[in-house]
Amino acid sequence: MKNFRVTGIQARLLVLIALVVMFSLTTPYFFGVSNLTNIIVNASVVGVIACPMTLLLVARQIDISVGSAVALSAAVFVVMSEKQSLIIGLVSGLAAALFVSALNVAAIVYLRVESIIVTLAGLIAFRGLAKVVLDGRSVTINGWDYIGEHRINAFGLLKVPVPVVIFMVMLLIFYFIMRATKYGSNMYAIGANPESARLSGIKLEVQVAKAFALMGLAVFIATTMTVSMTGIASPTSGQNLEFLALTAVILGGVGLGGGRGNVLGTCLAVLILAVVDNALVLRGVQSFWQEVARGSLLMLAVIFDQLSRKRDKTVRMGI
Amino acid sequence: MSAKNVTLKVENLNKNYGSVVALSNVSFEILKGEVVALVGDNGAGKSTLVKCVAGSVFPSSGSIYLDGEKVNFHTPGQARDAGIETVYQQLALVDTFNISENLFLGKEVKRTGLSRLFGILDRKEMRRQALQAIQEFNATFPDVNATVETMSGGQRQIVAMTRGAFWGKSLLLLDEPTAALGVQESKSVLEVIERFRSQNQMSLLIISHNLEHVWQVCDRILVLRGGNLVANLVKKDVTKSDVVSHITGAYSK
Ligand SMILES: Nc1ncnc2c1ncn2[C@@H]1O[C@H](COP(=O)(O)OP(=O)(O)OP(=O)(O)O)[C@@H](O)[C@H]1O
Ligand SMILES: [Mg+2]
Repeated sequence: MKNFRVTGIQARLLVLIALVVMFSLTTPYFFGVSNLTNIIVNASVVGVIACPMTLLLVARQIDISVGSAVALSAAVFVVMSEKQSLIIGLVSGLAAALFVSALNVAAIVYLRVESIIVTLAGLIAFRGLAKVVLDGRSVTINGWDYIGEHRINAFGLLKVPVPVVIFMVMLLIFYFIMRATKYGSNMYAIGANPESARLSGIKLEVQVAKAFALMGLAVFIATTMTVSMTGIASPTSGQNLEFLALTAVILGGVGLGGGRGNVLGTCLAVLILAVVDNALVLRGVQSFWQEVARGSLLMLAVIFDQLSRKRDKTVRMGI
Repeated sequence: MSAKNVTLKVENLNKNYGSVVALSNVSFEILKGEVVALVGDNGAGKSTLVKCVAGSVFPSSGSIYLDGEKVNFHTPGQARDAGIETVYQQLALVDTFNISENLFLGKEVKRTGLSRLFGILDRKEMRRQALQAIQEFNATFPDVNATVETMSGGQRQIVAMTRGAFWGKSLLLLDEPTAALGVQESKSVLEVIERFRSQNQMSLLIISHNLEHVWQVCDRILVLRGGNLVANLVKKDVTKSDVVSHITGAYSK
């Protein structure tokens, strides 16, 4: 298992390097500090969401309402900070994000509805709510450009944009949680064999509720990033976020079965997706075809997941 | 026979699943260090009885006493904390975990000091204790770091039993420990049970369909039929065919 995990990470790293080399040779303007930085900055918001999404899928849960949750949180944040103050806006935005995860927890953990159904309902409803708050328009915010504009000096060597720093911090935190803590280990157990986890005394409901709470915090962080980078809250804020994060988690090696994979794989997959997206734009591929490419990547990720699971099984039966 | 020596006492236990009566007024005691076999036909209520004692099913009525104290388990975790360990028929192992991770499932050892605040695992300590437990029960594994999904049925059974013996303080419940195993593997599992018995600390309740197997290790035999406890027999007073006639209902005095 340990060896398999490492080779899984290595395989994804090789794919990423191969893509970067290939696009550098074939696509004008791809290889360069500013474009490569751009790619990582654009991947950061997805990355921040993909970390708790990894934790959820490891425990056989899913949250497809995150994009709409970001839209709602952003709408509340921007409208409140324009009406009142930045601080009140931030607090209200956080409250909106946590409100969404509280609703999800209530329906999934206490009413025992499948998380895919609950969050599908949220996907529709929360974006609707965001449009209500925004009255269907885009609203601009003043005085919240730090995350989008600034760079942090890393060891005097390179200047790292703030969104990238946030993404990296999230990655480290989730790597630590899932790798080193009792909580992380229990989440893997829940994903691999839920009944065994229950019989051993692990409280499944509590552990899953915690993961949705972490997702609520991540939604708020992603909101502050998106708003800062775009300067607005709009009915389309956070659109496709759930789709991109999910594709990354599956491509990253967690798969739909749960119980395996980690955030390093997810992080590499986030970068792979961002590189492909960027190259398609630079090559002037029509946006309709970009959508086709994105959907196909998710399909490809699911197929890889199926194949790797089958291989696991044959190995098991062989022994 | 003072009350002090009674590990488990079950009094008028009833369990209904809707209109199905799985257990009806079951009462018995298990003494300290005793190995008791629980036999009966399919659907007699054996697993239900074990699950009630293990906290994974809540009885409809009746009382359970552990070491003289009344207990009310609503979750398996509560029963484990009280000193009752269960080796379920499906073993309740996590396939992708290794032996030490399974041994400490739900009861992980955390590092001390500031790390404890974050719930950081002490993998080294868990591995050390796991290896010690494996040695104590004379179990052998080709690779102690392998995940249990790569192990044979007998090895998986022994991992689950090692976990039960490691954590159990008063009572170990075994549901069909040899049902899925071949001759050789059954033999080594029975040897492990025999070793538990010689240590004479914990009481054991073993469900089995195989009289031959339980006969080798038990002191007493409880027979369930249709949810009723129809016989409570001391092994040295009876023959196997007596027990069979109790199971089938052919027994008459
Ligand atoms: N969760 C459940 N819901 C409804 N009925 C159940 C449930 N569990 C058990 N039963 C019923 O309760 C009765 C006793 O079942 P139990 O599993 O305890 O029998 P058993 O003696 O363990 O049988 P076996 O030897 O086949 O394992 C059976 O009639 C069974 O169908
Ligand atoms: Mg049974």
